[in-house]
Amino acid sequence: MLLENMKMAFHAIRVNKMRSFLTMLGIIIGIGSVISIVSIGDTMRSLFSSLYKDVGLSQAYISIGYWIEDVRDSDYFTMDELDRLKEIFGDRIAYIDSAPSISGEVKAGGNKLKFNLSGVDYNYQNVQPVNMIYGRYLTEEDVKARKQVAVMEAGAAKKIYGTEQAVGRTFRTEVYGSMTEFTVVGVYKKEVNAFQKLLMGSSDDTGAAFVPWTLLTWPNDLIYSCRLFADPGMSREDMNQLFQEIMFYIAKSKGRNSQDFRLTTAMDEMVQVDSVMGGLSAAVGGIAAISLLVGGIGIMNIMLVSVTERTREIGIRKALGATTRDVLIQFLTESAILSACGGTIGIILGIGVVFVGGNALGLQVVVKPAVVLLAVTFSAMVGIFFGIYPASKAAKADPIEALRYE
Amino acid sequence: MRNWWKRREDLLPQQETDELIRLENLVKIYDTGVLKVMGLKKINLTIRRGEFVAIMGQSGSGKSTLMNILGCLDRPTMGHYYLDGVDIASLSSDELSAIRNRKIGFVFQSFNLISRTSALKNVELPMTYARKSKKERRERAIELLERVGLGQRVGHMPNELSGGQRQRVAIARALANEPPLILADEPTGNLDTAASVEIMELFSRLHEEGATVVVVTHEEDIAEFTGRIIRFRDGQIISDQVNEHPRERRKEG
Ligand SMILES: Nc1ncnc2c1ncn2[C@@H]1O[C@H](COP(=O)(O)OP(=O)(O)OP(=O)(O)O)[C@@H](O)[C@H]1O
Ligand SMILES: [Mg+2]
Repeated sequence: MLLENMKMAFHAIRVNKMRSFLTMLGIIIGIGSVISIVSIGDTMRSLFSSLYKDVGLSQAYISIGYWIEDVRDSDYFTMDELDRLKEIFGDRIAYIDSAPSISGEVKAGGNKLKFNLSGVDYNYQNVQPVNMIYGRYLTEEDVKARKQVAVMEAGAAKKIYGTEQAVGRTFRTEVYGSMTEFTVVGVYKKEVNAFQKLLMGSSDDTGAAFVPWTLLTWPNDLIYSCRLFADPGMSREDMNQLFQEIMFYIAKSKGRNSQDFRLTTAMDEMVQVDSVMGGLSAAVGGIAAISLLVGGIGIMNIMLVSVTERTREIGIRKALGATTRDVLIQFLTESAILSACGGTIGIILGIGVVFVGGNALGLQVVVKPAVVLLAVTFSAMVGIFFGIYPASKAAKADPIEALRYE
Repeated sequence: MRNWWKRREDLLPQQETDELIRLENLVKIYDTGVLKVMGLKKINLTIRRGEFVAIMGQSGSGKSTLMNILGCLDRPTMGHYYLDGVDIASLSSDELSAIRNRKIGFVFQSFNLISRTSALKNVELPMTYARKSKKERRERAIELLERVGLGQRVGHMPNELSGGQRQRVAIARALANEPPLILADEPTGNLDTAASVEIMELFSRLHEEGATVVVVTHEEDIAEFTGRIIRFRDGQIISDQVNEHPRERRKEG
């Protein structure tokens, strides 16, 4: 009988193709927008979390609080202090530096290019590995001796030298007021997607290179903020514990409270961004769900019209022996199928939009099965819920009255 | 959960009596709000199994009112209607549905086929509500359509058929669950003479095969086919005569 009802419902839907399609349109748009919005949100979240993983989730920055009025020289760090931190906390600190960077124009031969030079230690390759294609990374010797060498990104090398194989080439740029000549000792390649470029602000016309960080602290040797990577094998709690200990130690050695220093951890930031993004996509998804409600009301409207139009048919069916329940189920099935069809088309459309958009941007799209499942269930429920009133109206019809209906 | 889908057989009362229909002091009052209209006034009537009855009377005399009650589409205001010995007044609306489905085949003046649904599907419908299997439904529907001479029109939609053909589909549909009682309210009202004769011959044949048939008509020569003619006026029976020599139906062949 269920099968029979479904056949009857499909028949009724087919007889009125255009109207059925218009009725479904509300559900199609509703489900489509919910799916695409939630999936866009999930995709953004996964992009952010991969971005943070890329940057290193064990990373933290410590600096004197921006809210401190009477900043003293001793509130800054020196290279010795960083060394001492590394000694005291040992293996728990995987890497430490001052995260210095300068940007400016780089000249090589007749070519000029805007560049971002990041100062790093030789073991930065351990915590933030890049894919070396030519030459070598910075060495301990380079850093200790403040050698004017650089490891350059392949795309930038191609732009400025016309070839990615730039080992041995030189460029000149201004470092804290004095023209400095660097020799390229290595070239690395880094794949970034459109989203990462957008967020990191690195565009194609800005080159990137690593140089010994010791070069960039010159001339006053004072460091504003200290960047450190905890041992990535540590748990989140252990990491937080470590960062608190370091804060405490620094504050004590500088004669301040640890609240006077600012700690920014990648983990906290990621959790924060993620929760904001999650909330946002839920909110927008919720708003999109309202369109589903509108779609449901559309179904109810059309089913009411259909019930009135088919009053005579209902009378005939009852005269032939259909029970109240038979008629109820017939119309419920019809509205459920209408909205389930709309829901299916909406899902395909929504996912399609997300995939096409994601492909265009070169992003890995995230469509959670749970979201799809939820949307299907929801649309069928919308169909049944908004079908109840029209169906019960049909079912309650008195056979004699219904047969007399013109 | 399974049973939920099945029609409950125990809804159908199982007594059998020689009197298929018995009406006792049956009254039907239409309450239109402004005034009350007496549709039927204290009707007493018995129809036995296998009878072929014509009901005649002026327009507004209560013929359709009676047929609707006999067909369990409507309930009497007062009095009793025993169908197969069961008092209809005591039944729930689902039980009435079951009775309409199994015990009564109704043929209307305006055919009342479901539009945009093939002749075959229309004939299958009462069997669908009786939860017959698909195969059984299809076979019987085709057999019935052949019996009413529409074997070649099985897949046609109602709007592709003539009036007489539509009425024959309706008759095939009325016969679907082999009901003991066939009710027809002016079945030839919308048909020309030739088609009317064909339809009445069909009823005649059903009667010969053992069905109880009650037909409402305005035309004497239609009533001539039956074996008993009951006349109504103002909601009352004014005469009830046996027709000694029913009009012979042409023998086939
Ligand atoms: N639903 C209704 N509401 C009010 N009055 C009704 C209703 N149905 C029938 N009547 C009244 O009951 C009386 C009998 O009507 P009925 O339809 O039974 O007549 P009929 O004999 O079938 O007439 P016809 O030959 O024209 O079909 C009429 O006076 C009619 O006006
Ligand atoms: Mg009438």
